[in-house]
Amino acid sequence: MNAYDYYSILQGAIFTVSLSIVSLVIGVPLGLGFALIRWAKVPFFKDLVQAYVNVIRSCPTVTLVLLIYYALPEFGVSLNPLPAAVLALTLSTTAFNCEIWRSALVEFPKDQLDAAHALGLNRLMRMRLIVFPQIWRSSLPGIFNEITLQIKSTPAVAVIGIVEITRAALRVGSNTYEPLPPFIFALLIYSSIVFVFLKLQKYFEIQMKEKGYI
Amino acid sequence: MYSRSVNSSLSQAKPSALKRKLIKLGGLGLLLSVVSFGQMQLSQAASLEEVKARGYIAVATEDDFKPFEFVENGTPTGFDTELLGMVKKKISIDIKQDIMPWPGILPGITTGKYEAAVTAVLVTSERKGTFDFTTPVAESTTYFATKKGSSIKSSDDLVGKVVGAQTGSAMLGDLKALDAELKKKHGGSGIKEIVEYQSYPEAYQDVGNGRLDAVANTQINLNSLIQTRPDMFVLGGKVGNPVYIAWALKKGNTGVQQLLNGALLDLRKSGAMYQLQKKWFGATFEAMPQSVN
Repeated sequence: MNAYDYYSILQGAIFTVSLSIVSLVIGVPLGLGFALIRWAKVPFFKDLVQAYVNVIRSCPTVTLVLLIYYALPEFGVSLNPLPAAVLALTLSTTAFNCEIWRSALVEFPKDQLDAAHALGLNRLMRMRLIVFPQIWRSSLPGIFNEITLQIKSTPAVAVIGIVEITRAALRVGSNTYEPLPPFIFALLIYSSIVFVFLKLQKYFEIQMKEKGYI
Repeated sequence: MYSRSVNSSLSQAKPSALKRKLIKLGGLGLLLSVVSFGQMQLSQAASLEEVKARGYIAVATEDDFKPFEFVENGTPTGFDTELLGMVKKKISIDIKQDIMPWPGILPGITTGKYEAAVTAVLVTSERKGTFDFTTPVAESTTYFATKKGSSIKSSDDLVGKVVGAQTGSAMLGDLKALDAELKKKHGGSGIKEIVEYQSYPEAYQDVGNGRLDAVANTQINLNSLIQTRPDMFVLGGKVGNPVYIAWALKKGNTGVQQLLNGALLDLRKSGAMYQLQKKWFGATFEAMPQSVN
């Protein structure tokens, strides 16, 4: 492995990290929105959300990526590899985040809402002051679990030509016929990325402790 | 308090059970309709007029298939990429090249995402049903290679061995035909196992570490492999009959096909394509037919 080989895998890491972050920045809040739609039993839309979640959960990420890249042109939407990858990864993580948020909402004690209502808090205040801090606390481990899974599902986008960590490592291995060094290097990068996110989770948990939520 | 909320959620769960089933069916239906709709109206690859209006031809090239196409220090290179560079100079329209792994390339042609697969596509009778081909750019015979020092010399020695080839490739077809032939010849015993790979580098690595006894690929590719690692691999015997390699287009896209053919036939006439073959394959194939469709 020469210096360029290390550099190429690091370049792959830029794609892995940015694709994960963009899809999560959209997917985590969007998942919350979808979970709220189901929680509030908004007619029609709650069924739509459930159908969406069911379809995405049954679809492997690679298949979803191929479907978006090759099937969307049939409907007149022809995306370049990068937007197609962002769309596929976002659609995928949103569905899982929706379920994580929903599990917290399902467990949320309804009597607290009744009490807040009795105190004259409006819908937005009930959401912001009563519901959100509690579901955020209980969803946190699930969301960070999904974040680490999302980072590890990015190799799926290699199929449409995006060179992320694993693809870059494969290419290096295929030139040297020694797959071990590039994959060990790739593993080190994956571990450090995940480590940063786990630190972030720790930070949030400490913050909640200080606020007395835990 | 707690028991009340449980009760209320239970009472809600009952009537919605049927509904939930319906929603699940609906989701499945949505998925199926997306898939079937996609098959029903596969978009046409852009015709010559559309390509001209758009200003470029979209082509896909594999990222890891030495010596035809590969990426070296971040830049695509290899026989097909250099040949494409020559074609670009001959035609007035721009060519936009995407580099991607093999599994995405032929679907990219059938769905019309790309006009041409500028990559080493072996011309087989099954593929002729789905694709049109340019004039051939190389000739190829399937051979197998083994680790240096292996006892496997001819194709008869492959009986009881584990052999790898790329999934969905013509070499895999050749290997399966050889297996049938061996079974006939040796009273039912043929190749022990045929392992299918996404791409060849992984198969080569498995020959290197002993997981595979042999790997089947084109003579050109195996020669190139042995040239890079003569300490590790040796060429074995023949697996199939000679076939041709050409760029693939969606069936019926004659406009773009003729445009590319014009340039490619010019390059054959001037000898530039043969020089390129000499450079990358160590051999020229001047006896190739004009058309393989």
